Amino acid sequence: MIPCPEWLLSDEELFKVFAFLKRNTDLLSHDDYRAAHVGYHCGQSRRLKDIRGYLVNIWSNTSLGIRLGTEWVDALNINAPEDFLQWWDGFPEVYFDNQEAWINAVMLEPTRATAEGLVIDPDWNLDDCPRIFDPVPDRPQEFKPCHLRMHEHVLLPVLRTERKAFKLMHFFKLKDVTGGKQTLVSDYASVVAKWHECQGCIVNFRDSDLDAAMRGFYPEESWGHSPAGQAHRAEFCDFFDGAIEYHFLSSEDFLNARRRDHEALYAIEQRIFSSCWYVEVDENLVVLPNRNPAPAFYFR
Amino acid sequence: MLKVLGFVKRNSKLSHDEYRAGHVGYHNSFGRRLNHIRGYLLNVASNTPVVNSLGKDLVHRLTRNEPEDFDNQWDGWGQLMFDTFEDYLAARSPARDFPGELGLQMDPMVGKLGDDLDELYAGTPFQFQVEEFISRPVVRPERKLFKLVQFGQRPVELPIELFRAYWTGRYASLASTMPGLRGLIINFRTPLDVMSKFFAPDAEGFTLAGIERRQDFYSLWDGMAEYWFDSEENYVRARSSKPFEPLYALEQKLFSRLFYREVDETVAVLPKRDPAPDFYHR
Repeated sequence: MIPCPEWLLSDEELFKVFAFLKRNTDLLSHDDYRAAHVGYHCGQSRRLKDIRGYLVNIWSNTSLGIRLGTEWVDALNINAPEDFLQWWDGFPEVYFDNQEAWINAVMLEPTRATAEGLVIDPDWNLDDCPRIFDPVPDRPQEFKPCHLRMHEHVLLPVLRTERKAFKLMHFFKLKDVTGGKQTLVSDYASVVAKWHECQGCIVNFRDSDLDAAMRGFYPEESWGHSPAGQAHRAEFCDFFDGAIEYHFLSSEDFLNARRRDHEALYAIEQRIFSSCWYVEVDENLVVLPNRNPAPAFYFR
Repeated sequence: MLKVLGFVKRNSKLSHDEYRAGHVGYHNSFGRRLNHIRGYLLNVASNTPVVNSLGKDLVHRLTRNEPEDFDNQWDGWGQLMFDTFEDYLAARSPARDFPGELGLQMDPMVGKLGDDLDELYAGTPFQFQVEEFISRPVVRPERKLFKLVQFGQRPVELPIELFRAYWTGRYASLASTMPGLRGLIINFRTPLDVMSKFFAPDAEGFTLAGIERRQDFYSLWDGMAEYWFDSEENYVRARSSKPFEPLYALEQKLFSRLFYREVDETVAVLPKRDPAPDFYHR
């Protein structure tokens, strides 16, 4: 993969992680997984120390062929992989101020009112993980994490209305051509930024260091750092170099926008992407991302 | 939608900031899992008094007959949204969202809201339904907004129908054009009983003292408008400018009491006003 250019990495960039997670298929259906992840699990993980934003994206039960029409799916995709959704059911998107905050996120802090006052919740843990996520056969306490650091470029700041949005992830793999990333955040972005229907658009480039979000967060001896875990991550990352997040009020709004500029965008996509494809996700907002400096009190 | 607000006073064992952490942290983590909940916000009284954020002179000009002990009666309020009253009452039951050894299981702690009510609050929340008027639909960017709440009381000589019509009509039509405004919703408290089947029969709120405490609080205001701005500067500039001068004259006629508070809003479940999907979603 082409390293991320320096100019894309601002000092003020939040530490952003996409954590791709496959459900425990022995215990949960896709819809069971939704409830367990968004319900119980997020009740624990939204209390991660100093978390600045937390979304959980789960692939939609409705295929894009039904949502957009197969003609459009064919027209938008370039060499889409066939089994991509077999690798994951959902991916949390988490934001922290920096890598140190991310690594220290599991340090407990008092959030529970008791007869003794505010205390660290003695019942807080993440023991549910291997029951929700793909377990490691010979390590009963572990699951298979695939946490990836992402570098984002906000083309259109996200605005959320009080209704469920239509959210599309546009995964892409870059051709080994000079200036592919630059083209994406300049030529491509200048077209998308004019889409008045769009409620938000963020281009995310995967960090070239596949361990950037794993190192320090998971113990060295855990499966994620084992040869098998690293191979799993490398194989998955071979699918894509990044993903664009699109927020629309409806699929019609997306099509209306795309229809206007399809020719120009597709020409760029053919030039810089060796493959690209879309996945509709249901976004669950757990902690509204706050890109302002953190206030001096407990805030989510 | 059914919109229910619950004003709470913190347990005296907690400081205001400890209460925040307990409510936003542990308590909201259970509240957001209530069955069929469609929206859940928590508003905590800001550590910054409005005289500091808006300026003493402006607050003096904006305020009419402010009650003296208002802030001693609450530290925050939760906002619960459900599709129906039945959903609201049924919400306090176990939720099937716990990943157990055999798959998805019921978690009884959700129905108990984490079982921390007695330790987090001093007494039962003042819980009531509001009828809301959306003057400008709320749009939230990815940063903390300045949320200002305007508490208003109707003059006795003004019929309630006119009070509502004027506030949501001429007043809101102008106020909703303030630059930097991200949302404006006006809420009127209703007498619908949303406490009896939600809290235990022996809760403090059903004692004579509890009822009196709640009625005292209700006697201070009839409606509240929620304003979301990019920053406090937006409101200060607007209320100091000529185009919004007419609001002062309207306020003279419309309110016997009018006062303001800033709150810090936590979006525990982003309100969804469209039909619910047929899968678990928050």
